[in-house]
Amino acid sequence: MGKRLLSLLMASAALSGFAEAKTVIHVMHQGDPGWVATYGDVAKRFEAANPDVDIELIYAPHDAYNEKFSAAVMSRQLPDIMELDAPFLANYVWSGYLQPIKLLIDQDVLDDMTESNIAQGTYPVDKDLYAVGLTDSSVVLYGNRKYLEAIGARIPTSVDDAWTREEFEGYLEKLSKLEGVKWPIDTFRGYGIKTEWITYAYGPILQSAGCDLIDRKTWKSVGTLDSDACVDALSMMQTWIKNGWVVPQSSGTNQFFAEGHPAALALGGHWFYAEAAASMKDDVVVMPLPKFGPKGVSPNGTWIWGITTASEHPEIAGKFISFMLKDKQFRDYARDDSAYPGLKSFAADSPLYDDGGPMAVAFEQASKTAVARPPHPAYPIITSAFMGAVDEIFNGGDVKAALTAAAEKIDEDIDENDGYPPFDEQP
Amino acid sequence: MTLQQSALPTTMAAARPASRRDKSRLYQEMSMLAPAVILLTIFLIVPFLLSFWTAMTNQPLVPRPTPVRFVGFNNFLRILRDDLFWTSLWNVSRFTFWILPVQCGLAFATALLLHQKLPFRNFFRGLFFLPAITSMVVVCVIWGTLFQYPTGPLNQVIGFVSGGSIRPIDWLGDPDWAMFSIVLLSAWQAYGFQMIVYLAGLQGIPDELYDAARIDGANALQRFWHVTMPGLRPTHVFVLVITTIQAFKLYTQVAILTQGGPKSSTETVVHYMVRSGFEEQKLGHASAVSVILFLIVLVIALLQRQLLRRYDV
Repeated sequence: MGKRLLSLLMASAALSGFAEAKTVIHVMHQGDPGWVATYGDVAKRFEAANPDVDIELIYAPHDAYNEKFSAAVMSRQLPDIMELDAPFLANYVWSGYLQPIKLLIDQDVLDDMTESNIAQGTYPVDKDLYAVGLTDSSVVLYGNRKYLEAIGARIPTSVDDAWTREEFEGYLEKLSKLEGVKWPIDTFRGYGIKTEWITYAYGPILQSAGCDLIDRKTWKSVGTLDSDACVDALSMMQTWIKNGWVVPQSSGTNQFFAEGHPAALALGGHWFYAEAAASMKDDVVVMPLPKFGPKGVSPNGTWIWGITTASEHPEIAGKFISFMLKDKQFRDYARDDSAYPGLKSFAADSPLYDDGGPMAVAFEQASKTAVARPPHPAYPIITSAFMGAVDEIFNGGDVKAALTAAAEKIDEDIDENDGYPPFDEQP
Repeated sequence: MTLQQSALPTTMAAARPASRRDKSRLYQEMSMLAPAVILLTIFLIVPFLLSFWTAMTNQPLVPRPTPVRFVGFNNFLRILRDDLFWTSLWNVSRFTFWILPVQCGLAFATALLLHQKLPFRNFFRGLFFLPAITSMVVVCVIWGTLFQYPTGPLNQVIGFVSGGSIRPIDWLGDPDWAMFSIVLLSAWQAYGFQMIVYLAGLQGIPDELYDAARIDGANALQRFWHVTMPGLRPTHVFVLVITTIQAFKLYTQVAILTQGGPKSSTETVVHYMVRSGFEEQKLGHASAVSVILFLIVLVIALLQRQLLRRYDV
């Protein structure tokens, strides 16, 4: 018995000695099964090209990603590379988990980034780059061509002639009376009530209407999120729901292309195009987001790659990220998934988003109307408070009261953290 | 309980001049108590004191550049001023109020049924217990599909049976229905455990009592009221206590199906705590919620102890 234990110990010691010879890079990521498999393949190719490196992928599900990340921080098991949702970047950098990556990533990748991509990876305090991605994102208004022609709607072809609020609400009303239309619009409430989608997709409606989640100079939410413009914008959405114009939360996220096409419009992410077009072909019309006020606004930002301060091999980590972003099969998979380009060379390679391509309008939004979510370390609270308010409002609650409560909650957290220095220094 | 009683004579003995024998007995008792006391201290008392201490600070979930400060009772005051906390407490009370009759009633009824000498009795016992050993997460995903609006299976059945006169119900999306829907699926998932407890209770009632009642000319209903029910009194109380405590910890179903919505109608105390601790990363605040939850459960446990005593169980 004792002998066997001893040999076991020796064997494990030998094994660990063997593993030590290789540099292990831990990569934490999220994604659906297709992406997870793609990351695995990229890792294998990188390992084949760099036999002394071992890439270890750690999967964490999308909806609990921040919780998993916090757990990794608490147990001092930070990965070398982490995928992160762009609006949380400020929080991670402020807390000291990410390091600047300009010197770690290949120069040709850096030169290739679109402005929106640079914006999503930049920390506003030192203006340095902390994360990079192949992709970016946007939300557009999808329409069912048959229904739009039936009501004689004007179909905008560029961001500049987007629908105004009056036009948009007029069409919703007309669509609600059209034969075959069960719901004039799907705003993807089916994603849930505690999902980043809420802040990501509905935030721009507030910004377009002339307000915001938080004042980006004073970093105060009271007076902004509960301002008349925001109350008006969310009252408008509440009215759509009261009128029965919006696909309810429990009806899933496929009503736009489901049997009989019950939803006429869809305020959906760029990733929705592949699904919708596969089922509806040329009947899918891609339009810019409507202007709810003086200017059109669209969201941006997606899951991007950063290197943590805990990494013992930041150069190798940077090498892996550069390798992945340039990897041909990786890009092919992203393109087939209708990924939204964040690198110029990838955009040129994506007929979907190129001039004249069906999603050209979506890509046009990146340079004309994209506004990032507030780059502030209090973002976890900002988005959580806003989600709570939207749930309250969409279910018939008092708009002003819900927004006031959310704004106060945000300001309270910022106060509690002494204004998250240096964010308290007003420019 | 028994421990305290048996300790009494020793203390009285200690009042007399301590003999050597008494002393060694005291050591013996102490050393036998020690493992339990040490474990309880490490795993119950220290964590509770720590969470009480954390509740007095603005401790974030993950280390931050700003210093952690002592904030006194601020977290508690903030929670007590938060409407959402009171909503969640009200929701949990509502849930408990509904789940007690539904779940315990269902469990009691099936236990009575399966206590009869039916063919394939053991097969049915296993079958009815199946949901209880199915993971709650799996149950939630399945029921989430059943609850779909407006064309989910449940709504289709209701529409078919009622000939279309009952409009589809938005089970999880309507603030008036959401908590009730959670009650339905929770009761279905968990009643198997209570059923087993009731079955054990039923089997514990001696057959002689039934025979005697029969000889006295009692009919089935009378036997039920005057033999079965009194014989099950301790079981009833135990099931009540267990189900109440379970109900107060409601979390999984809510986290998976409704995330506390719609319109906070399914927000529960535990879900509120987890959200403030993990989503909003305020560990101090979340600890304060846990301390409050502990006090609430303590009060309920004390009340139920009174109840137990009255029934002399």
